[in-house]
Amino acid sequence: MELSDANLQTLTEYLKKTLDPDPAIRRPAEKFLESVEGSQNYPLLLLTLLEKSQENVIKVCASVTFKNYIKRNWRIVEDEPNKICESDRIAIKANIVPLMLSSPEQIQKQLSDAISIIGREDFPQKWPDLLTEMVNRFQSGDFHVINGVLRTAHSLFKRYRHEFKSNELWTEIKLVLDAFALPLTNLFKATIELCSTHANDASALKVLFSSLVLIAKLFYSLNFQDLPEFFEDNMETWMTNFHTLLTLDNKLLQTDDEEEAGLLELLKSQICDNAALYAQKYDEEFQPYLPRFVTAIWNLLVTTGQEVKYDLLVSNAIQFLASVCERPHYKHLFEDQNTLTSICEKVIVPNMEFRAADEEAFEDNSEEYIRRDLEGSDIDTRRRAACDLVRGLCKFFEGPVTGIFSGYVNSMLQEYAKNPSVNWKHKDAAIYLVTSLASKAQTQKHGITKANELVNLTEFFVNHILPDLKSPSVNEFPVLKADGIKYIMIFRSQVPKEQLLLSIPLLINHLQAESIVVHTYAAHALERLFTVRGTNNTILITAAEMAPFVEVLLTNLFKALTLPGSSENEYIMKAIMRSFSLLQESIIPYIPSVITQLTQKLLAVSKKQYTFSKVLFVGIFLLISYNCSVIISFPEFIPYVFQVMSLLLEMHKNEIPSSYMALFPHLLQPVLWERTGNIPPLVRLLQAYLERGANTIASAAADKIPGLLGVFQKLIASKANDHQGFYLLNSIIEHMPPESVDQYRKQIFILLFQRLQNSKTTKFIKSFLVFINLYCIKYGALALQEIFDSIQPKMFGMVLEKIIIPEIQKVSGQVEKKICAVGITKILTECPPMMDTEYTKLWYVESSSSVGEVPSMLSTSLNAEALQYLQGYLQAASVTLL
Amino acid sequence: MPVVNEPSERMRKFKNRGKDAAAMRRQRVEVNIELRKAKKDEQILKRRSISIVSMEKSPTPGEDKNVIIQLSLEEIVKAVNGNNPELQLQATQAARRMLSRQKDPPLNQIIELGIIPRLVEFLTRADSAPLQFEAAWALTNIASGTSEHTRAVVEGGAIPAFIALLSSPHMHISEQSVWALGNIAGDGPLYRDALINCNVIPPLLALVSPVTPIGFLRNITWTLSNLCRNKNPYPPLDAVKKMLPVLTCLMEHEDKEILADSCWAVSYLTDGSNDRIQIVVDTGILPRLVELMGGPELIIMTPALRAIGNVVTGTDEQTQAAIDAGVLVILPLLLRHAKPTIQKEAAWTLSNIAAGPCQQIQQLITFRLLPPLVELLDKGDFKAQKEAVWAVANFTTGGTVEQVVELVRSGVLKPLLNLLLAKDSKTILVILDTISNLFLAAEKLGETERLCLLVEELDGLEKIEALQTHDNNMVYRAALNIIEKYFSGEENPDLQPGTDQDGLYNFSVEKQDFDF
Repeated sequence: MELSDANLQTLTEYLKKTLDPDPAIRRPAEKFLESVEGSQNYPLLLLTLLEKSQENVIKVCASVTFKNYIKRNWRIVEDEPNKICESDRIAIKANIVPLMLSSPEQIQKQLSDAISIIGREDFPQKWPDLLTEMVNRFQSGDFHVINGVLRTAHSLFKRYRHEFKSNELWTEIKLVLDAFALPLTNLFKATIELCSTHANDASALKVLFSSLVLIAKLFYSLNFQDLPEFFEDNMETWMTNFHTLLTLDNKLLQTDDEEEAGLLELLKSQICDNAALYAQKYDEEFQPYLPRFVTAIWNLLVTTGQEVKYDLLVSNAIQFLASVCERPHYKHLFEDQNTLTSICEKVIVPNMEFRAADEEAFEDNSEEYIRRDLEGSDIDTRRRAACDLVRGLCKFFEGPVTGIFSGYVNSMLQEYAKNPSVNWKHKDAAIYLVTSLASKAQTQKHGITKANELVNLTEFFVNHILPDLKSPSVNEFPVLKADGIKYIMIFRSQVPKEQLLLSIPLLINHLQAESIVVHTYAAHALERLFTVRGTNNTILITAAEMAPFVEVLLTNLFKALTLPGSSENEYIMKAIMRSFSLLQESIIPYIPSVITQLTQKLLAVSKKQYTFSKVLFVGIFLLISYNCSVIISFPEFIPYVFQVMSLLLEMHKNEIPSSYMALFPHLLQPVLWERTGNIPPLVRLLQAYLERGANTIASAAADKIPGLLGVFQKLIASKANDHQGFYLLNSIIEHMPPESVDQYRKQIFILLFQRLQNSKTTKFIKSFLVFINLYCIKYGALALQEIFDSIQPKMFGMVLEKIIIPEIQKVSGQVEKKICAVGITKILTECPPMMDTEYTKLWYVESSSSVGEVPSMLSTSLNAEALQYLQGYLQAASVTLL
Repeated sequence: MPVVNEPSERMRKFKNRGKDAAAMRRQRVEVNIELRKAKKDEQILKRRSISIVSMEKSPTPGEDKNVIIQLSLEEIVKAVNGNNPELQLQATQAARRMLSRQKDPPLNQIIELGIIPRLVEFLTRADSAPLQFEAAWALTNIASGTSEHTRAVVEGGAIPAFIALLSSPHMHISEQSVWALGNIAGDGPLYRDALINCNVIPPLLALVSPVTPIGFLRNITWTLSNLCRNKNPYPPLDAVKKMLPVLTCLMEHEDKEILADSCWAVSYLTDGSNDRIQIVVDTGILPRLVELMGGPELIIMTPALRAIGNVVTGTDEQTQAAIDAGVLVILPLLLRHAKPTIQKEAAWTLSNIAAGPCQQIQQLITFRLLPPLVELLDKGDFKAQKEAVWAVANFTTGGTVEQVVELVRSGVLKPLLNLLLAKDSKTILVILDTISNLFLAAEKLGETERLCLLVEELDGLEKIEALQTHDNNMVYRAALNIIEKYFSGEENPDLQPGTDQDGLYNFSVEKQDFDF
């Protein structure tokens, strides 16, 4: 393609077409551009257009097309043709920087991106002038140009923040430092001076401050890998100025926006990061400056408002203090009682307050609120930062800090007591403060596991949490209700059992609260409480203790599902399932009503009318067989349905009824197996099918056997569910007629070996050992050896040596041990290749190391009959038990 | 993913023999480019002899303090190139005096005068000891400058002349020559080997005797250390073998500076391949080095620790020799030392011992190295923390399950997980690898779930989760891998069945080669 007006015209036409909403016009145009992008001069035509086109939209379109072209083609991949000819490359590199700098912002951004893509490949070796070209612009005095350069530099250098140290990388950084560090420092000083000469010119200040933000970012990148000699020598300049900027305020730079951070906030935030970088990595050199920064940052926190736009700054600043106060040699900066008090009072407490934004989320975006508050996605929030600072300070000053906060907690509670409806937020902060002060370690599974001994959790619970929850109105002060419920939930392992029992009816009551957060928390708290284990690892709260509450619990749980916003509330569903499993047979009287409600629920969700027979079980059953999509639309119910069905099936004495067989293929639907909650009840149901109907399946549904084994494959692929896969496989081996699975047998073993090779977990090995021994018992040791060796020569020996012998002792469980003892004995005694081939050496190893364990297995796990049977085998093989 | 884990899993069975151990032992040479200022605690490469008033009076008998003659550069050139011995001495002295002043000695100007060959010639003037001495001093100071400056001296032919002067009957001349040769040797391997090839070592060693004055002996030791210094290439083996017996003697001296410089010499000799280390080990000097490493003097402790640190980068046997010399008794003190560089070197040393076989790892436990290691990980300077992370990583790679359990019991987990916030991608990656190692051990014990809870309790889980968005690809993958493997009901993508026409799972599998 020549650089001609005609070609420019053509290109313009096609670019225009690529913006057309009609795909019939757009697609061919895109295709055309793709087809010519290999031609010489194509990128130069684009550059010409983005510079000179009369239409702005074409300029922008050309710049985007150019950037994407660079992204796709610039990199030279080994053994692949060079997609951009050398002269174009040279021309692009020669022109792009001035072009970028003279372009309007929209286009500048695209070109800046393109430069960093090119830079990533070519800089520094193949683009030696880039740095000098950029540095020269610093002298232009035009800050629009300078900012363009700084932005490009930032995109080129920011990778220094995450790449591994290497000679290549450090050579590049050294080169950059040599050319860039001094001009950058001079620019930094000059910009700061200009800021004071233009202190009253808002638009000039904005430009200057955006330069400062970029300069501060470049400082971070250039100082990240190690402390460069230049910056060590010029630390005074940089740190003094950073410090001044931290303390600087200018009304002209304050923004009206409450949400979006302004330039001043961005700059201070980056300076906090820079100080934190030096404090963490270059402590020895930074020590003289650190106290000043601590004071400045602390003052900054004291004077910064509650608006959302300050959040990042505040959280960065608090995290800086938190990281410094944990260091032994900076302890003295904090240990003064007045300092501590002032940090607690002016930094921590204000940032723990419940803000308008939190209140909004609580009411209107409860899902987000719950995620942040309950599931810990609060890493960048102020509350979280304040909480981290509390924990940091507690490392050295647990006593004093606890003391100071106790005072605050008391005064906040008193404020609340004076006028609860006005001052409820004080109590919220008090509860949050107590929580962050008391919690030292926490997990989702157990709640708080280590608590500050100086905080009396039970007393606080009795005096301040219970009363709120006992209040007759479940809808008053919903935030405090949620706080109280959360308190019970997270301290469930710390609060004594009798108190937990006291709170159960209260939690059940709060399932009726209108606030989504409150009834969700109540359901979640109940669900968690039902999993708490006591000292002897048994469930702490028993079914008997729950007996008085069963009816109201079930009623309220189901009612909660009818509350606005919670019709598909997962926390409530989990609480329902957990209640069933805790209460067991005590729910029997309620089954009819429960099932009614469940099916109604299903109906409500499906919004379709079905006629159900009076026998509700069959109703659900039919529902499943006729329309799987109904179930899919409300998946939380399925596990329960399957559980009921397997109970029913297990009660059948005879062959499986044909109605059940109709359902069988539906149970193999992948969509059901994608939800982990379904897996245990579904496996149990399939096991019931196999136990009762293996022959029917083999005769009437043989074409479904691959699907059944596919389920097994799906389960075995997962570390979490592989044992379920073995349950299924064991049932298949035990019950299916051997000839029906003959053709799949080898496949099954290959699959197991693959999993063994890829991720050999203890749980998998244990299940695997039980399975092969079961197989050996069912089909004989010879069959086992033959199938192994048919997969790969000497496979049997390898498995014996590498898996069975070293791991067999890990098998646990009476039945499992029994199976292994019998299986191993069969391998030793019934397998001729063990006696007269090279496997013989293993026989000795096995009989000495592994069967040596047989006696202990025998004594612990075998009944007399089996023992006799075994000893017969052993005698036949002339093995003597010790 | 599992495929990547497999080889390392296999390597573990070899107890870190072969390739793996070599990768774990980290020599000093990781990166040759430095961004930092030259280390303040390194030994000085070159030194200038500065005139102090008291020195002005004594060394040159002919000099009278009342008649210090000021000469211009032109006058100096003229006199030096002239034939008047008196003027030659005066001019040389004037030049030397300029070169010895505290501030801005005019090295370049003097070189530009072109008088160096002449000064070198003066070195041979056995008839005039004062002239020899002044010329030697002047040249010493020129050689103390940059490589350019040193080169000017060497190219003026100074090497053989100075070596000859080592045997001068005048002690102060021979001492000055030792100093000059030290500066030349300190320039780099090229001139160091030029000196060695001119046979500098025998006359230099001959100067060491029980009656050599301390000041002189210090100079000799320092010059010897420069003759041992620098790699690429190392100093010739036979030269090293000649110097070592004298160095080991010097290490028994009571003077601090002599001890420090002889330790530096040994630290250079051990900073290399295993056969270089072996030569030092064979002298039996390790117990003395360990003793010096534990002493109170920072200037001695620093090079002694370096030398020992270098020795344990060697073979298991060499490392064992250091252990037998008592290094593990001293290391806890150094790990707790107030100076960050000492902490760092000590942790580096520890990391290389932890890269050894499990018997040596066991000795780390026996000698109670774990508590100071955990402390350092928790509160040490960042440079030291980084090394401590390596130590823990190596420990978990080569240690037995029981040893790893002992490490976890020592409280390593909390500070280790905290360091996931470190601003250094490599450190983060090493920690993630270590966490994987810990999980492998936990799996063997059937304690995976407990470790999961522990990691979560110590706020490790949220940190690992956050790393899934790290910009460094390897870090993000490693984090993702841990999350998938231990903190979610993850699946094994290779084994996942597809679906067939009737929508059910398709039971199928491709055969591969198995090797457990």
